[in-house]
Amino acid sequence: MASFLQAHGYDPGPSQRPFSAGAISGVLATVPAIGVLLWFGSLRTEAQILGLSELATVAVGWTAMAIAGAAYARIFGRAANNIHGGWLFGMAFGFALWAAGAVLLLPILSGGKAPAGPAALGVAVSMLVWGGAIGLLMPFVHRPLHESLEKGSKRAEVGPSAAAGKDHPPLRQQRQESRH
Amino acid sequence: MIRVVSLKKAITAGIAGAAVMEIFSLGGRLAGLNTVDLVQQLSTVDFPKWPLFAVGAALLVHLGTGVCWAVFYAFMFWGRLRLRPPLQGLLFAAVPAALAILVVYPELALMRRGADMVTLSLASYFAPLSVPVVASLAVAHALFGLTVGAIYRKPVGYAVGHKLSPPPPRRPGQTSAKRQDGSPRFMFATGIECSYPTIENGKWRRDEMDSTGHYQQWQEDFDLARRIGITHIRYGPPLHLIFDGPGRYQWDYCDPQMEDLRDYGPEPIVDLCHFGVPAWLGNLQNPEIGKALAEYAGAFAERYPWVRFYTPVNEMYVSARMSALDGLWNEQLRDEGAYARAAWNLANATIRMSDAILKRRDDAIFINSESGEFYQPCCPDEHVQQIAEESNARRFLPLDLIYAHPLGKRMHDLLTSQGISQEDIDGLAHREVPKRSILGVDYYEWNERLIDREGKALALGELFGWYVIASQYWERYRRPMMHTETNKMDAHGAPRWLWRQWHNVQLLAKAGVPLVGFTWYSLTDQIDWSIAMSQAVGIVYPVGLFDLNREARTVGLSYMHLIQLYREEPDYRECKTLKEMMG
Repeated sequence: MASFLQAHGYDPGPSQRPFSAGAISGVLATVPAIGVLLWFGSLRTEAQILGLSELATVAVGWTAMAIAGAAYARIFGRAANNIHGGWLFGMAFGFALWAAGAVLLLPILSGGKAPAGPAALGVAVSMLVWGGAIGLLMPFVHRPLHESLEKGSKRAEVGPSAAAGKDHPPLRQQRQESRH
Repeated sequence: MIRVVSLKKAITAGIAGAAVMEIFSLGGRLAGLNTVDLVQQLSTVDFPKWPLFAVGAALLVHLGTGVCWAVFYAFMFWGRLRLRPPLQGLLFAAVPAALAILVVYPELALMRRGADMVTLSLASYFAPLSVPVVASLAVAHALFGLTVGAIYRKPVGYAVGHKLSPPPPRRPGQTSAKRQDGSPRFMFATGIECSYPTIENGKWRRDEMDSTGHYQQWQEDFDLARRIGITHIRYGPPLHLIFDGPGRYQWDYCDPQMEDLRDYGPEPIVDLCHFGVPAWLGNLQNPEIGKALAEYAGAFAERYPWVRFYTPVNEMYVSARMSALDGLWNEQLRDEGAYARAAWNLANATIRMSDAILKRRDDAIFINSESGEFYQPCCPDEHVQQIAEESNARRFLPLDLIYAHPLGKRMHDLLTSQGISQEDIDGLAHREVPKRSILGVDYYEWNERLIDREGKALALGELFGWYVIASQYWERYRRPMMHTETNKMDAHGAPRWLWRQWHNVQLLAKAGVPLVGFTWYSLTDQIDWSIAMSQAVGIVYPVGLFDLNREARTVGLSYMHLIQLYREEPDYRECKTLKEMMG
């Protein structure tokens, strides 16, 4: 998928701030997700599994979701700025986080303990809600963070010396070069 | 944005796919098979006290999930494989099927347990999976994929004859810019990609202004152009939507945009015919298109008398080649004679349109934009040399006709073999070319081609460059020139290409060629140009100064830098050639 995204110009370019926008959106999107966790009683169960207080679980979760948000923005690049499709990319990312984190990693780290019943449902729904929310929020959070056209156009790398620059090597070639 | 998605089609496909899955599950159960019913599984997860509510909610979740997967398919998967659409959907269904089997179904079993927490082993996690369950889930998802694939197709364009809603009216201006009427500034231009050929033997209309969202976001697009300092914009009102028949025009498809350009700029270079004609005119083989388009051009000039710059027919050679020689657009023929007829019709249309415009505005300026092409033989093989020679002769045919340049024997004989009379050819050869004519030479990295030993044309990249190719056109026609189109499908390498093209322009100007402008084409990304719009897939072609979210690409920043650097320099603040033309 990375090569597909790259071929279609997903690189955010020098004037965008995907990490900051993703992290902020990730933090904001955690608010409704926590609501879902509380509604289903999942927060209490997760805290028990992790051996933390509920407050500490929220703090850890919020930090993790800020990092996850930054990762989301970097992976999806310009596609994450899409008002029409962002919610879907976010939900896909939320689903992947749920499958990788709650389904796979959590039982491994906790000696096989996993949420069940409504608590398990709450965890799944909360991750989808988080994903949908970050996807919806990203375009609106990101726009004000962009460098202005005036400032961005004054960057040295977009100026006349770009004529002597290089074309973007294909992804496969980049991988081979990095291996060497 | 990765793909242009038809959300309406994707939602329909997703709901239909999920419904087919559910029908399969219920049907299987009625037939006594142990098929998995995901709605039933979902409805028993929670809400045990409200079974009806639970079933309703589960059904909605199931349909919603189907929609999500279908939209995901449309964004990420559709059109990537050269398979029939239902098979593409079937292959895609492997992804949700695997996730349903490995993650969702075991998790649903966990969710139905009474406890809030359990201790799992690998065996206990996968215990709910049996062979019938796995088989049932796999078949249900295959049906889902086939259904989604069968329904979701052609997300861009529309059936020929369909009428889109006119664009939204003008909102109160948010700009302090004013159009600089009569300014002799060097043209730092861009364009709104506006191609509208038909494909599928005239049944499906491609419409780039629709696919790129310009009809809805036209005001934002013009504002972006102004913000980066664009002085001129190549703009093609949708001929196929406006011109309903002789004397019948639907100007509401371009009135708001033209009013905005009139008041605030950038100065429009109006492109009256861009790769297609209205359905009632058929295709480029119709000898009546010249007469009809002349009527349209005259009506346009009458309605918008303030417009001074026109491109009557854009890239006549490319239009004729793609339609009549490569078999991709409009008439979709592969025939040298058909090429000659299309080229003749388009050249004839250009001339008659120019005359019609000049009757309304005698100081109109014509920018005849054409693709600057060149064919290099790979070796001394006589056959290869001949193909290259023929291809090189063919590229000049439409311009030779409109600029009254003597025809080579081969092109002359080709025209007469298609029933075009010597009298008609002489009529063009002896006509007076409008004095305010500018030759626009477009250039992309595939414009230079190598004829290989098999006689096939291979893209060479930038071998000789715009300077050399444009010089050939200058030597032949001796008209003031403009670089009317370029771009590069590499968002990272595009600034490099921009600056190099610009230096080509500067060098040609220094060599004494009167140059009046430069163009990065287009303002936003385009759709399906990686496949020459030959199929309605919706692939984003990331060559714009802005992406389809209307956010600046790096090349947009570069172009702004370039314009700021040069626009107040004496040679650019007042372009001598343009001043003479406008005076």
